Amino acid sequence: MTKHGLVIDQERCIGCQACAVSCKQENNVPMGQFWNRVLTEGGEKMDTPSGGYPEDGGSGSLDMQYQPTACQHCENAPCVKVCPVNATYTRDDGIVEIDYDKCIGCRYCMAACPYNARVFNWDEPEHMPEEGTGDVEARPQGVVEKCTFCSHRVDEGLDPACVVNCPADARIFGDLDDESSTVSKYIDKYETDQLLEDRGTDPNTYYISGEMSPGRPQTSDKMESELDDVSPWSDGDDDVPSEEADSVGGESSGSSHSVEGGEIPYATPAKSGGDD
Amino acid sequence: MSDPQQPRLTPIDEWEDEAEAMLDDVEYDTDLGVQMARDAIRVSNGELTDAEFHEKYHEAVLDEFGEDERPTKPEGFEDD
Repeated sequence: MTKHGLVIDQERCIGCQACAVSCKQENNVPMGQFWNRVLTEGGEKMDTPSGGYPEDGGSGSLDMQYQPTACQHCENAPCVKVCPVNATYTRDDGIVEIDYDKCIGCRYCMAACPYNARVFNWDEPEHMPEEGTGDVEARPQGVVEKCTFCSHRVDEGLDPACVVNCPADARIFGDLDDESSTVSKYIDKYETDQLLEDRGTDPNTYYISGEMSPGRPQTSDKMESELDDVSPWSDGDDDVPSEEADSVGGESSGSSHSVEGGEIPYATPAKSGGDD
Repeated sequence: MSDPQQPRLTPIDEWEDEAEAMLDDVEYDTDLGVQMARDAIRVSNGELTDAEFHEKYHEAVLDEFGEDERPTKPEGFEDD
């Protein structure tokens, strides 16, 4: 079986909102709505830290972290359990999706989602430009909508838009049931958290914090499973020339990667042009 | 309704307030929605089984929606 999951490296996230914007564009998300958000953990407002600057030689207490948040595609999704018309359902590959033709707009799923990942179309959705954007049909007024892991792309063997467009390579998408996938390797190697673990929802979205991972440099729009070799853990012939890897993965991030054996992901120049 | 700038990963007490606000002017039963949401989390936690959850709310869901297509329906469960 395939179980799609997402790893987000919060140490790599730079809060640029590219994921939020590309999600909105790709999925034709109406004006005023976001499926994908980058929250700020720290001060009360976006991009503001808590604490203060060092004073009088003190250490200071400034603290801020970005918290990208969207549908967590929970294994035990409470939103699915409360839907009286079975409009919200879990696909065989673990993606939680909404059948907009069935949705009656009762919003019980919104109340049941502890991540506030769902939005409701209170009014007739407006798009800019009017004809909409991306590759997904607009949803009507009166239904709930949310992140789909870009299932329309996944079904074509493509990574979600937020993953492809993350300039920090902080988002890694793949098959959690495949032990050799980068998501599985990273969950195994790095300290990861799921949001609100005490709820028991068992999200298929994991967050790396503490030690920065090498991320997953995008070499194309394709999902990892569709590529011959992309994993930094691969033993394949296309493994990384160390000098190139150093220049790409090490210096650009300003981080201290710690992949065993000096393996750093190979990043070929990203393909130019559109995404599908 | 939702403010994309603000975190919503709220403690459970505050969540109930938010859930009620979400359902405040819904044309369906607000109390039922909040109760089901609370118990759906209990199902996720393992405090309640799918079958118990389904049976607990089956009548109310039927009354409110005229159907109950939740995936929690246990095998052999007979609809009224």
